[in-house]
Amino acid sequence: MKRETDYGYEIKPVYTPKDIENLDYAKDVGDPGSYPFVRGYHLNGYRNRVWTRRMTAGLGSSRRTNELLKQYREMGQTQGILVICDRPSAMPIDSDHPVGRREAGVLGWPASSLLEFEELMDGIPLTGQSITLLGSSAMSSIRLAYIVALAEKRGIDLKEVHGSVTEYPFCHTFGQTDNLPLDLNIKLWLDSSEYIVRNRMHMRSGILSQHLQESGGNNAQALAIEMAMLKELLGLLVNERGLDFDDLALLPYELVSIGSRFFEEIAKVRALRRMYAKMAKETFKAKSDKACQLLIAVHTSGRTMTYQQPLNNIARCAIQTLAGAIAGCTAIDNACLDNAYAEPSAFAARMSLNTQHIVSDETGVTDVTDPLAGSYFVEYLTNNVEAEAYKILQQIEDQGGMIAAVKKGYVQNMVKESARQKQKEIESGERLIVGVNELTIPPEEDDDIPIQAVEASDSEEIAKRMETWKKTRNLPLLKEKMAQLYADAKKDDEHTLMPSIIEAVKAYGTGGEIMGVIRKASGFHYDPLEIIDCPFDL
Amino acid sequence: MSNRRRIKVLISVIGLDGHSTGAEIVSRFLMDAGMEVVYLGIYQTPEMIVSAAIQETVDVIGISSHASNYEQIGLLIDLMKKDNLNDIPVICGGTIPKQYAEALIKKGVSKIFPPQSTSESIINYIVSSVKR
Repeated sequence: MKRETDYGYEIKPVYTPKDIENLDYAKDVGDPGSYPFVRGYHLNGYRNRVWTRRMTAGLGSSRRTNELLKQYREMGQTQGILVICDRPSAMPIDSDHPVGRREAGVLGWPASSLLEFEELMDGIPLTGQSITLLGSSAMSSIRLAYIVALAEKRGIDLKEVHGSVTEYPFCHTFGQTDNLPLDLNIKLWLDSSEYIVRNRMHMRSGILSQHLQESGGNNAQALAIEMAMLKELLGLLVNERGLDFDDLALLPYELVSIGSRFFEEIAKVRALRRMYAKMAKETFKAKSDKACQLLIAVHTSGRTMTYQQPLNNIARCAIQTLAGAIAGCTAIDNACLDNAYAEPSAFAARMSLNTQHIVSDETGVTDVTDPLAGSYFVEYLTNNVEAEAYKILQQIEDQGGMIAAVKKGYVQNMVKESARQKQKEIESGERLIVGVNELTIPPEEDDDIPIQAVEASDSEEIAKRMETWKKTRNLPLLKEKMAQLYADAKKDDEHTLMPSIIEAVKAYGTGGEIMGVIRKASGFHYDPLEIIDCPFDL
Repeated sequence: MSNRRRIKVLISVIGLDGHSTGAEIVSRFLMDAGMEVVYLGIYQTPEMIVSAAIQETVDVIGISSHASNYEQIGLLIDLMKKDNLNDIPVICGGTIPKQYAEALIKKGVSKIFPPQSTSESIINYIVSSVKR
């Protein structure tokens, strides 16, 4: 068995003061609530507020997902909702698109219009809990417009809504499928981010290392790429959109993937807080403490959940949840026991939420902030993963930064090579996985678990509904709003499209239509799959 | 394999699924094993996969699926039957639950490799199915 960190550094049998002899507590670590925030942002930690314990929802129709959210609420999930969109709306194409209709409601809710969002949120409060909508970068500005439109309809002050509905423009690089060219994704991300900051909304934008790590990247790469993304994207908001860095402090949030390598996962999160604080202060000259604090949420690692003996995943999930809790985070959502099969069943969801509550309410983990600080091993690992991440960050900078490195395929190749390495280590038995390369059982003896799935008939039903509903909209109004959007999208990149996207959303323009019109105005085919034509006379 | 044509395998993710890591890893180790791989990537409809299989005259089709609509794979099999391509074995990998895997095998898929299948098992299966 290999005794190395997941990024390839040898691990010794014992650690002593010598391993951290250069560590200056006041300067390099500090108390919780003090720069450089290795130990977290609040002296009282979880005594102030326990992390948001939530589960991902989204499958089948918006109504079905709405029922699921209500079910989760009954299971004790009251601090926030987390909803993922389906494959077509991630792209985005509509549910009634010839290709989209085959997969409407697959892997998420059909997030294609304000109507779907209204159905999703029916009877669910928009305030008093965090609203998080995941999907892809391309739909971010449209999801933000849903929030604006629904808040207006319900007569809610927009500043009262908190959560996150927008995502970083590099999602596509790490398997979160949308089909918008990177430059256009960056432009639209800047538009939605600027809107959030200028309107002082309490909405975050996900700039996430979880996707790249779930694609096979290691812990040091996750930190390096996260920092490279933050540096470039926040830099663009400061330099191109003229925003003050301290005002940007409430924008980014990071979702960290936490696997089973317990101490390394905790060290990774501690290192990330320090790296971000230093960048905020040294590169962006942050004035307030708040501006040096990156909001960090945790997703337990779906990649580590096995198909074989799925009940073993309950143990993995518990270990990872404990690691996330000890590391210090604002929210956790779990990949759970059926992760290698399907979207979470009610059985798996309850198991997962209960796991989080067992960790928060039974273990004592919420009593003490950053309890592993001062451990020779954990402080050493924190320094080690940070140093390795800085080396990789320098390589990305040498490529010209994150955008340039992605365009050259440099970052993608780095992650692919790491994924291949991990596969090799498992096949050679250097890394052991119970039920996979040790303690295996014949497939016919394996545990049976309930599986939640979407059938082709469910997809077709969603598609047909959209087809019929589209004709019932106020078409003259829709055409007017689309013409406005088209005209605005023809203007230069600094002209924000958020106001016209919001108008188009309120007129019940769909994701496929809105993004199609923007694509067309930017010189691309209306349909990312080049099958259907633009239905508007533009 | 030195005295015969290299085995040619088409690898594709099907539908709008973006989980490409598995397909990429499999493509890589098949190439390392001396096979020729036509990697189509993501956003491939069953129609596109069939037309690529015809153009490239492949020996085996490998489909990666991590989305819960397995009808797409069924549709691929139907299209292949229509085009008389039944002799090309279709193998699948990904997060396909047992009950769906059984249905797909009945439909005509040759073999389904669950997550964490070894490269050796996949390579051996392809070599033996092409020999037949």
